[in-house]
Amino acid sequence: MGKIFIYECKRLLCNKFFFGILLILLFYGRQVLNDITIMGVSHTAPFSAWSFGDYLSRMIPVLWIATLLFLTFFTSPAARRVSVLTDAAPMPPRRYEAVRCCAALAASVLTALVCIAEAAVFYGVYFGRCDIGSLTAPALVTALPAIMFALGSGRFLGQINERLVYIWMAAPLAAAALPLPGAMGIWNGSFFTEYPLLTGSTEPAFAVPAEIAAVQCAFLVCGAVMSVCRFGKK
Amino acid sequence: MEISIRDLCMTYPNGKRALNGLSLELNAPSLVGLLGPNGAGKSTLMKLLVTALTPSSGTILADGRAVAKTERALKSQLGYLPQEFGLFDELTVAQFLDYMAALKGLRDSKTAVRKAIGAVGLEEKKKTRIRALSGGQRQRTGIAQALLGDPPLLILDEPTVGLDPEERIRFRNLFSQTAQDRLVLLSTHIIEDVQSVCDRLVVIDRGRILFSGTAEQLIRNAAGHVGVFWEHDTARERGLHITARVNTSRGVRCRAVADELPDYAEPDEPTLEDAYLYLISGEAHR
Repeated sequence: MGKIFIYECKRLLCNKFFFGILLILLFYGRQVLNDITIMGVSHTAPFSAWSFGDYLSRMIPVLWIATLLFLTFFTSPAARRVSVLTDAAPMPPRRYEAVRCCAALAASVLTALVCIAEAAVFYGVYFGRCDIGSLTAPALVTALPAIMFALGSGRFLGQINERLVYIWMAAPLAAAALPLPGAMGIWNGSFFTEYPLLTGSTEPAFAVPAEIAAVQCAFLVCGAVMSVCRFGKK
Repeated sequence: MEISIRDLCMTYPNGKRALNGLSLELNAPSLVGLLGPNGAGKSTLMKLLVTALTPSSGTILADGRAVAKTERALKSQLGYLPQEFGLFDELTVAQFLDYMAALKGLRDSKTAVRKAIGAVGLEEKKKTRIRALSGGQRQRTGIAQALLGDPPLLILDEPTVGLDPEERIRFRNLFSQTAQDRLVLLSTHIIEDVQSVCDRLVVIDRGRILFSGTAEQLIRNAAGHVGVFWEHDTARERGLHITARVNTSRGVRCRAVADELPDYAEPDEPTLEDAYLYLISGEAHR
């Protein structure tokens, strides 16, 4: 299992697509940090958890697309041609799928960490400070459910038709444009820009209301369940 | 290893009937050649044997146990090369084989990979990325993954496709050596390959077995039905199937099979190809 995980990570990370994604991610991240985050959101400091959360929510579309691109390594026609060999091996299909999903998750988390590291470097350079501890909560509540849900839903759609994975890449862009209910505020960034103003404090401590936490948990669990389910038949 | 196939039927969701009540017994050690025209049902039979498909009806037993219920046990004894397959282009040959060895749960994967690479003669390419391999080298990598761990059951669907004549001879000898202590099922269109190495032939057409036996028995069935003659207008007569047509300085020399040879044809010794064509063409008329 460990060997397959390492080889799958190698397939996902040691190729031009990954480096291309990293370049786009770093470029877009720099733009967001320099143009938006540097001014701070909702009257909070640029290095506050709220401004950082806003930065991450703006990065979700790129992380989402990166995660789905990793999945295309398993759902593409070329990958399906390899599956005639791998399906004939005695390893239980569910376990094999789980190992591959873990590899895709690891690659996606690594991509998110690059995103976070870029913000940390930005804070260090411009403000001479970076409190990693205060950034952990917004990172977990923003990026992890999005990555997990992208992974699970993308895998589900990929088993139906690979093209659906590419169409699904546009979902966070649609979410950013649509008037989502308040409980889904993280998906269009409204939570980070509106909620601190409602607290009445100038520099409120980072907190997540119960309904937003519940929605994020639901996305996380749905993503995890869809990641391990095997669809289709012989 | 013993495979017992009973009344196997396979109808695809689109309504195409690929196998029609096929029954067959296969015992190790043996190298069984599976012959048949395109669409005869050879690949479907192989996919059913490796549990890649579920039969519409009928049973397949491996060592007395239904394969549908002991899928994992069967796969742990199986080496399979399908007709069409892909490889992970990002990995090297050795890495891909190591990956497959891990999937097959082989304990000493290093030795298994080294042995498989040696068997297919890819030592010089073992550190080459798969995307840089030629078609023949990719095919050899496919054969190598089937040989990993010396499985007691080898199922090879058109394994010599894309190989040059020298490689083809090398591989059919390799399959013959491999079959000394196990069961090898080899599907091919190349009659020469089966004649040279297979101790048993199974001819399938339209989902049914037309013949099961040795090459000699198949050839014997065609004795008296093969003739040669100079090209003649009447060569187009019904029931006469030209198997070879050679231009010579004296004219065109034809070789044909028929239930009843015309008077102008000189009887000749049948080859396996003649015998196969006689069997298939006879069936086509029925």
